[in-house]
Amino acid sequence: MSDVPVLEVSGLSVDYVLDRGNVRAVDDVSFTLNRGEFLGIVGESGCGKSTLLFAVAQLLAPPASVASGSVTFEGTNLVGLTDSQLSAIRWRDMSVVMQSAMNALNPVKSIGAQFKDVMKAHGKPARDEIEARSAEVLRMVGIDPVHLRSYPHQLSGGMRQRSMIAMALLFTPDLVIMDEPTSALDVVAQRSLMAQIKGLQLAFGFAVIFVTHDMSLISHFSDRLMVMYAGQVDELGATRTVFDRPLHPYTQGLLEAFPSIRGPKVPLRGIPGNPPDMARLPPGCRFGPRCPHAVDKCAQVAPELVELDEVMVRCVRRQDGSLPVSADHKGAGQEGSLSR
Amino acid sequence: MTGSTSTELLRAEHLTRHFKIGGVLSRLMLHAVDDVSFSIGEREIVALAGESGSGKSTIARVLARIYKPTSGEIYFEGKPVSQLRSRSDRLRYSGLVPMVFQDPFGSVNPVFRVQHGVLRSLKLHRPSLSGPERAAEAARVFEAVGLSADMLQRFPHELSGGQRQRVGFAQALAMRPKLILADEPVSMLDVSIRIGLLNLMAELRDTTGVSVLYITHDIASARYVADRLIVMYAGQIAETGPIDEVLASPRHPYTQLLLSAVPDPRAPLSAAAKTDRGEPPKVIDPSPGCRFRYRCPLAIDTCAQVTPVLAELRPGHDAACHIAQADANQVRAFS
Repeated sequence: MSDVPVLEVSGLSVDYVLDRGNVRAVDDVSFTLNRGEFLGIVGESGCGKSTLLFAVAQLLAPPASVASGSVTFEGTNLVGLTDSQLSAIRWRDMSVVMQSAMNALNPVKSIGAQFKDVMKAHGKPARDEIEARSAEVLRMVGIDPVHLRSYPHQLSGGMRQRSMIAMALLFTPDLVIMDEPTSALDVVAQRSLMAQIKGLQLAFGFAVIFVTHDMSLISHFSDRLMVMYAGQVDELGATRTVFDRPLHPYTQGLLEAFPSIRGPKVPLRGIPGNPPDMARLPPGCRFGPRCPHAVDKCAQVAPELVELDEVMVRCVRRQDGSLPVSADHKGAGQEGSLSR
Repeated sequence: MTGSTSTELLRAEHLTRHFKIGGVLSRLMLHAVDDVSFSIGEREIVALAGESGSGKSTIARVLARIYKPTSGEIYFEGKPVSQLRSRSDRLRYSGLVPMVFQDPFGSVNPVFRVQHGVLRSLKLHRPSLSGPERAAEAARVFEAVGLSADMLQRFPHELSGGQRQRVGFAQALAMRPKLILADEPVSMLDVSIRIGLLNLMAELRDTTGVSVLYITHDIASARYVADRLIVMYAGQIAETGPIDEVLASPRHPYTQLLLSAVPDPRAPLSAAAKTDRGEPPKVIDPSPGCRFRYRCPLAIDTCAQVTPVLAELRPGHDAACHIAQADANQVRAFS
């Protein structure tokens, strides 16, 4: 059992069915997630990362639907399961932590009552059993169990987010899916929440899919990193490798968009332009119009995701070797302070 | 107390803003901003950093005259702002000190073309301009923020988040401001376009000579763009000074905590740095003492009894910490 991956996504595509035609928000995404692995998914807003998560958790609502592909969770294909079949899995084996805890928690119920709902959805636990477990998970995320009686508005943003994570851990699931759980928090709270998630993950061995648009946030926490652009996977590899040697120009651009807190101040450019309209994609490479290294070929051939030095990358120029890897992103900016 | 050599544009002295909280009979006071003094020079970007709830936005709103200070005074170009009585004086002030808001999706009116806001503020704040002059001026400020003039005719939903935030800056620029109050202008934008806005702020400072109060919790972006840094904690200034110096040798334990929390993808992977689980206090009817003492690993008895005040440790570099003031080199709380 232990060498079977927790999650196997293969050829997953998601369409938004609209009056003016279908828009493919997630296009042929495949990846596997091993037991206890931490996968980070990054990309700009509108790149399909949240849609992908919803598809994996089977939470898509019309007009979005899975067009093709499969999501195999512990041997079962989730695509096409009925709600009652899914609810046997949800919270128990797989749980989801949403972006905004303020909206995800019920404002008129105490935290404890919401924990109780989740536990009662799976069997008939005794009352003291519920209380003991609820207090235990709250303690795990560093919240005093007296807050079981608190309502969401009585907690700070960080505590709300942590209590969502506590709720996700009630049954010690094998997979926890997190959709930007830290984006509403400030840096100090973000940092301590990330450290806590990592600590819990190491202690209980669950796998994590963590979606964020802030690449620097997960640099120290994730095992593998998946970079998405316009619904496709652009780069997928070990986090450290991708950070040290980003192959796709988009990944390089994302990394160069962060001012560093240490080291010399270098003028940065970010990534000029905007992500494409998913209903009107450019021909060839979808990143081509914004890419500083684009050549004519990029607009003619749609690149495939190919393995290159242990990293999957979708770039024609990397694959044919015309863009040498030695053009390292670290040499991109000259030293010197910002123009004054 | 400024470390800069430029002429002083705005000075806040003992600025305090309290809010009454609770029911009708409640006497509880939330001390959002407590006895804060600072100044902003001409042609200077000052970063105001701190956690949520530290009073950063309250300061911006007091400066924009949205809130009246409970006590204290703001001097703009040497004159006290509370003395502005006539409508024209107050209009002039709000034109010289406009605000750019955090949420570009909520701050541009969705039912009008984007030129609407720019033209309206021109009409209100620069009534001497004729209609064609206003249109020309709107085109000029749009180009100054990197948007093409034909964007004026677009509706907000046709623009991306980064473009809308540029519209916000264009509206501010149209009034020929001296000081732009930018309240987390980039925190809702994608990382790939944040840099463009930060570059824009630096560019506006260099070309038009405007000053910016840049409110953020992202120290790395503050370092990238700002000249001076003010670190707030629980309504008070913890540390202030030239940004490079403060970040190179932070004296206040809280500044060190903030710095340790900044993720740096270029740094080598290391064991998670020392972090804490504390949260900034809600300052309700505070007793004396340092407000950071509950989270501070260096706190001594004095910290619970005497409220530390800002004192200069090095030229232009001030910190409000008993430990740092006794021996600045001893402070190594979080690293």
